[in-house]
Amino acid sequence: MRLLPLRSRIARRPVRAAIAITAALLTAAGLTGCGSDSGAGKTEITFWDNNGGPARTPIYQHLIAQFEQANPDIHVKYVGIPSASVQQKYDTAIAGGQPPDIGGVTTSYLSNLVGQDALEALDGRLAGSPLKDKLVTGLVNTVTATAADKKLYELPSSGNLDVIWYRKDLFDTAGLQAPKTWDEFFTAAGKLTDPAKKQYGYTLRGGAGSIFQLLAEMYAYSGQTGFFDASKSTVDTPKNAELVDRMSKLFKKATPAADVNNGYPQMVAEFTSGSVAMMHHNLGSSSDVKKAFGDKVAAVPLPSTDGSKSTVVANPVDGFAVFKASKHKDAAWKFAEFLVSKESNSYWNEKVGQIPANSDVESEAWIGQNAAVKDALALVRNPATTIVEAPVYLPQYSAITKADSEPLYQKVLLGQLSAADFVKQLGDKLTGAQAEWDKRHK
Amino acid sequence: MTALAAPPATAAAPAPPAGARRRRLSTRPPRTGLYVPLGLYLLFTLVPFYWMLMYALRPAGRSGVLPWPLTLEHFRTVWTGLGFGIFFRNSVLVGLVTLCFVTVLALMGGYALARFRFRGDRLFLVLLLCTQFMPGVTLLIPLFILFRQTHLINNLASLVIAESAFQLPLALVLMSSFVRNVPVELEEAAMVDGCSRLRAFFAVVLPQLRPGIVAVGSFAFIGSWNNFLFALMFISDQDRFTIPVGLSYTLGEYNVDFGALAAGGVVAAVPVVCVFAVIQRFLVQGLSAGAVKG
Repeated sequence: MRLLPLRSRIARRPVRAAIAITAALLTAAGLTGCGSDSGAGKTEITFWDNNGGPARTPIYQHLIAQFEQANPDIHVKYVGIPSASVQQKYDTAIAGGQPPDIGGVTTSYLSNLVGQDALEALDGRLAGSPLKDKLVTGLVNTVTATAADKKLYELPSSGNLDVIWYRKDLFDTAGLQAPKTWDEFFTAAGKLTDPAKKQYGYTLRGGAGSIFQLLAEMYAYSGQTGFFDASKSTVDTPKNAELVDRMSKLFKKATPAADVNNGYPQMVAEFTSGSVAMMHHNLGSSSDVKKAFGDKVAAVPLPSTDGSKSTVVANPVDGFAVFKASKHKDAAWKFAEFLVSKESNSYWNEKVGQIPANSDVESEAWIGQNAAVKDALALVRNPATTIVEAPVYLPQYSAITKADSEPLYQKVLLGQLSAADFVKQLGDKLTGAQAEWDKRHK
Repeated sequence: MTALAAPPATAAAPAPPAGARRRRLSTRPPRTGLYVPLGLYLLFTLVPFYWMLMYALRPAGRSGVLPWPLTLEHFRTVWTGLGFGIFFRNSVLVGLVTLCFVTVLALMGGYALARFRFRGDRLFLVLLLCTQFMPGVTLLIPLFILFRQTHLINNLASLVIAESAFQLPLALVLMSSFVRNVPVELEEAAMVDGCSRLRAFFAVVLPQLRPGIVAVGSFAFIGSWNNFLFALMFISDQDRFTIPVGLSYTLGEYNVDFGALAAGGVVAAVPVVCVFAVIQRFLVQGLSAGAVKG
């Protein structure tokens, strides 16, 4: 192919090309005109909601309207972030030097933010606040346990609890009571299974997030009071192996065959489709299950071995963190205080069906009407209940409980690995991680 | 006057031997051999879409393969509750501007790559292709810092710039291939007739590049439409998020609204399906033309 000479006369009227390019540039310039407004005399703070969506965004918008009415010199700019990506969003913003003033956080990634020195410790602010002594001690302890220096980097607003959601109507038809012991649970799962009608007694979580649920079940079954015993993990015990074995024997006998890959969306979808009688999740899914079944669904805390004393693995605690890079820390703290005040905390937790962090809320009427939250609060407040803190402070905890152990649990379900070997491997990894932690922080 | 002779009677073509007739008939593909694989492939492609439509039109808590009773509640949730109208507008804006930038720049650069020889042209081509090995997430933080320093964080222009930068290399390579398929003699003929190079480009080359422009433009639009990472990371204003971010709102930390997710998916997919239905003729031409070296 012959090529034309490089030089040529420049066209005098490149009209069409110029019009097309100019139009695109003008449109792009129009995009840059989307600048943010800030009213004169007002302090604007940016609040990132770590679980933005149709369920929670309207709640925050209502609370923000109330806050701004009470504080006309502060404007809160709400940004909802999808929960699956919020950690990456925070990490990018921190690395890029532009985090929000205040953000919703949970203890599941709080240590990651603290490790980046992105958050302000709130102990001093809380000490001078009306919220001092109002917060549920267990939730505060869970928050401080995530930081190496045991400071409070998150103002807790809401707690959660593992529960068994169950279909009251199916239980009533079968003449069964809500399970209080593990034996009752396994019996109910078997009795409520009818493969011919595609009805199953239980849905397992064999995929993403399976190990956290399994740990909660193990400790509720074995009743152990701590995650480590002198730096050795207590996961590897005969009782825990027994629970894993009994759970795996439910697979395909009392559960759908697809459960081996279930994450929580698939699990919730199976339960809300009506084909499953029981599901282990937490109070956070109450809006979904209530929407699907109304009064036909109820929740009970995880069973215990004898039906009386409970051991509970602490769930991630929701709350609010003030970022060090904020230029309006006082306004951000004021907003956080407002969100955890009695009225706001009550409103929010009533809407989402979770445990309020402000103890003054426990006297509200809605607590008595929400049986799941009432039972959860009673369990958490019961002095006989042991709350076991998962070692989320360990840098390897996420990798151990997700990438390393989830495939192993699937092998147990498929009969390729024994329950005893599984708990041994999991326990050894946690012990190793704890040993490294102790060595670094001696 | 010479009488017009009647055309000689053509002898009737001899009938092909029976064996040839059988062979000719057997070269036509049997209907089952054609339609069964097509049908299976259609099922494979359309069943997920039907499933999404079913969830979008069915009330929560129902099971079965038919969306009955029908409800538009999920579409209402998504459009008004989630604010999909705003996300849709932002996605269309970013998509169209990216399409214009990428197409115009690819035309200019593709022509240069196809028609001119200059020092380093092969190296340039290789470098362009090498940029495709780099996932966008690795450049997230440097881009974030860059946009922050140029005050483009929280601005849709940052999405256009980032998307255009990532899509341009492949668009350039593709467009240069389309340009090579246009005979250079046509341009030379136009220039002999008095056209400048630019005029020859607009008069001769550009009309023949229509399938290529459609192919490159549609890829640019679809790539921009589907991009989630940049939209989430460079935008921190509820009113400036795009549809992929809006869809992810339905996946909460503890709950998933499958109906809203499906309805959002339908809203996100329908414009793209319509665009492809209109341009698919040009797309097939463009892709196959680009595949054949001149």
